[in-house]
Amino acid sequence: MSETVLENIRTRRVVREMTDQPVAQEQIEKILEAARWAPSGGNLRPNRYIVVEDPETRRLIRLVSPGMFQKAPVLILICTDGDVLTEHSLPPTDRALLIDIGTAAQTIMLATHALGLASGPVTSYSKEAVKVILNLPASYSPEMFICIGHKAETTRRGMTAWKRITWRDLTHWERFPDD
Amino acid sequence: MAEAMSENWVLKEDEAIELLALLITSARIQMDEPAHYGPLRLLTATERLSSAILERASDKSRGFLQGNIERIPDMHMQMSDTEAYATGLDELCRQVAQCLLRHSPLTEDGS
Repeated sequence: MSETVLENIRTRRVVREMTDQPVAQEQIEKILEAARWAPSGGNLRPNRYIVVEDPETRRLIRLVSPGMFQKAPVLILICTDGDVLTEHSLPPTDRALLIDIGTAAQTIMLATHALGLASGPVTSYSKEAVKVILNLPASYSPEMFICIGHKAETTRRGMTAWKRITWRDLTHWERFPDD
Repeated sequence: MAEAMSENWVLKEDEAIELLALLITSARIQMDEPAHYGPLRLLTATERLSSAILERASDKSRGFLQGNIERIPDMHMQMSDTEAYATGLDELCRQVAQCLLRHSPLTEDGS
């Protein structure tokens, strides 16, 4: 892994305040192309991506998304397509689906950061309301929004850490000792 | 009590519906989220209501509302510091009590 990739991982931040400056179509497509390469359990690729740029649609989505503090010019909604699950006899509770959403989200956010843009994930929204607003196909389950835009200059502090940690705090080497 | 408050209309129907959307969706998603997100959602509603009514609010409320708009986003960022968060909420409670008093005949000049 190159230092450039590691630096990208280290310096990405969740951004909650964005400007209304639009994002170029070419950049959005590059981000979606990166998402396509995210690892997927069994290579089944049940994720579908909905891009929302229309201002009124974004406004309505924010109104049913209490956790969406950003007024981002671009929203990418990661959906799981239930038809893919049916095709492969996977239950909607299969943990691999959550992993797929996670790998896609992180890939999107790292790609966004690599392009000099800001991103922030949002899961605090009403799924049912979002389905109505976006007129989603019945088989689509809206799993996570990634807000994308340009970071706003702000004097506000970022989210205070619950606890300062290093990778060592999260890691255990080898087998746990017997009691 | 209602008679003592200003009869000034400060909220448009669209704004009220938007606030309803926030409250209803917050109630639903709170069932799947950590308990400490509850205050966060209520404060978000407070901030949005303050923003919606600021323009048409009377002088008795304006300072309080402006304070909410400026203070609450920073408070969200302090969630992990429970003591500071509670201190911030207590201060907000004092501010709203003072605002209520400004609207009440209990205070002679209403100021």
